[in-house]
Amino acid sequence: MAVPKLQQLAKSVVQGPSLATGAIPTRDWMDIPVVFKSGNYAYPAKKEKVEYLNSQSGLHFPNAREWSPEDDDWKLPEDWKEIILKGLKERLDKFRSLKIFMDCCVRCGACADKCHFFLGTGDPKNMPVLRAELLRSVYRNDFTLAGKILGKMAGAREMTVGVLKEWFMYSYQCTECRRCSVFCPYGIDTAEITMMLRELLHLVGVGINWILEPASNSNRTGNHMGLQPHTFKDNVEFLLDDVENLTGIRPNISFNRKGAEVLFITPSADVFAEPGLYTAMGYMLLFEAIGLDYTWSTYASEGGNFGLFTNNETMKKLNAKMYAEAKRLGVKYILGGECGHMWRVLHQYMDTMNGPADFLEKPVSPITGTVFENAASTKMVHISEFTADLIKHGKLKFDKSRNSHVKATFHDSCNTSRAMGLLDEPRYILDHVVDWVEMPENTIREQTFCCGSGTGLNTDEIMELRMRSGLPRANAVKYVHEKHGVNMLACVCAIDRATLTSLMNYWNPGVSVCGLTELVANALVVEGETRGELEEGLRTML
Amino acid sequence: MDLAEGFRNHREKIVNKWVEYTLSTYLSSGFFLKENDKFANPVGGNIREALGRLFLLLVKGADPKEFIPPLEQIISIRAVQEFAPSQAVSPLNAVKHITREVFAADKERSQLVNELYDFEFAVDLAVLAAFDMYMQCRERLYQVRINEIRTGNHILAGSRCPSQMLSAEK
Repeated sequence: MAVPKLQQLAKSVVQGPSLATGAIPTRDWMDIPVVFKSGNYAYPAKKEKVEYLNSQSGLHFPNAREWSPEDDDWKLPEDWKEIILKGLKERLDKFRSLKIFMDCCVRCGACADKCHFFLGTGDPKNMPVLRAELLRSVYRNDFTLAGKILGKMAGAREMTVGVLKEWFMYSYQCTECRRCSVFCPYGIDTAEITMMLRELLHLVGVGINWILEPASNSNRTGNHMGLQPHTFKDNVEFLLDDVENLTGIRPNISFNRKGAEVLFITPSADVFAEPGLYTAMGYMLLFEAIGLDYTWSTYASEGGNFGLFTNNETMKKLNAKMYAEAKRLGVKYILGGECGHMWRVLHQYMDTMNGPADFLEKPVSPITGTVFENAASTKMVHISEFTADLIKHGKLKFDKSRNSHVKATFHDSCNTSRAMGLLDEPRYILDHVVDWVEMPENTIREQTFCCGSGTGLNTDEIMELRMRSGLPRANAVKYVHEKHGVNMLACVCAIDRATLTSLMNYWNPGVSVCGLTELVANALVVEGETRGELEEGLRTML
Repeated sequence: MDLAEGFRNHREKIVNKWVEYTLSTYLSSGFFLKENDKFANPVGGNIREALGRLFLLLVKGADPKEFIPPLEQIISIRAVQEFAPSQAVSPLNAVKHITREVFAADKERSQLVNELYDFEFAVDLAVLAAFDMYMQCRERLYQVRINEIRTGNHILAGSRCPSQMLSAEK
């Protein structure tokens, strides 16, 4: 009696083609079409943004138009299929890694349950192996003998509009965080497969606004927000006023100063949006305390590189801008702020795209004399490496009690941890400036969980999706919040500072988000300061 | 054999079936069921933990206020997944049917089925509280969206600079 009732209960509620209706799939994954509806896709790029990008030298963004993923007709070019297959062939020839990734997967499944999108949605197509299979099936069909002969039996399928739509759905449900690649015995980097999917989609004019608008802004004014030089300068100076009001010290800063020793580049979000503002105030106070000879640039006014989320040409161009500015100003090297994908691009791609930067010098800390051998070719040092070195040599004086309002934990940003191995420097810094605890072992360092909104997915029309994909990270924060009273999630990435704030507001109200340098500056004792009791450090409202 | 003892003896079985039923609402229920590490499997882990806690509260007829923490643990997750509101909360109801089924299958305790009124009433209260919780979660989500716009984080990308807006006004 009871069993039929229970089944009825499941049936009595709304049924529909949802990913989570409880219906056991009766069809092969290839035969389940994607359904776009409000909330499960990011808005397509505005026509004028695509037109602008396409008009720029070295960039290729064709087929600008008004379109919606919810429409049947995506207004693709007539020869869209040839364009995609030709694009795939070119990339298979150009990138050996892609060819290997297409061939060597044995579908062992080690990656399957490591993706935060899979863990938050339960959608099998979010298993990295299956996400890669979306492309691999087409590769098999058109580029392998087995696929050509055996077709579906060999896991091959023809490129259709349905497949293209599937690519769009799932390449924008991947933040290229590379957690899955840590577990792959072959080292397949699914992020690079996602990158290829997105590149191919751009060839037929399929892209999202949240990525293409910042990329076009960056190309135009040097930063994501499209801030022009005077606005950028004004914003930094506003922060200077705040630093002075709080500490009695007015840091000495300069813009576009030729002959400065160091060019400092950070995400523009740090000078514009909370809570990044406090991190930017921290940078200025720190540099003032050590008397660093540095300059800001109103042209290289963005560390972030949304090109990474579009195609390699755009990534290269946006990265080159920083080096062009370093050359123009005649600095010795570049010091980079707390950013995610700036460092990913820098560490993984810069050297082969735009390097080596021979016109700069091998970075040496002017305060400690330490030579940053790791940056010998890129000539760019991470603020955490730089700060940890200062602490190691006893060049900074701290009063840890100034952070007594904070009990912190540390979120390893995907890009800095997995793409550049920056694991211990931030922890060394935290040890000196604040009381903090680690999150569970399988959620930190190389195994860190993504904020869920990276690679240009931090847009509010997909808020539910972001909350789902951020669940694994939030779940680990919740644990230390409840067990140790953690009230601050520190990180070294501007996207994180924005997206984790929303993630915490939903999952763990009571946990704030900050940049590491904010905590450094809170605790920093600077000569000549007249700092009163700042109950919330640099966040204290006076 | 009294009801309390019946619940004690069958608790594990009932909770397991309840967890299984709840996780069967996901396409990848196999993994959500299998992986026991709460950090490697947040959906499965949280639902298992919360239903276990909730069951104890339902059995002892606790104050419905006490249902809130375990309900939040479950509903906050389901409120942002692709469920209709009814789908999000309906697995909570299943425990009534599962308990009857488990008791009925146990010959010595089948008469306990007739004594489940209070327990089932507690489940009803929990389901009602779950609807409130669902709405709270959705409202929190809308607030998150508003905050994001207000703090300027939306300007991290996708906005126009002030000077451009001025020129647009001209």
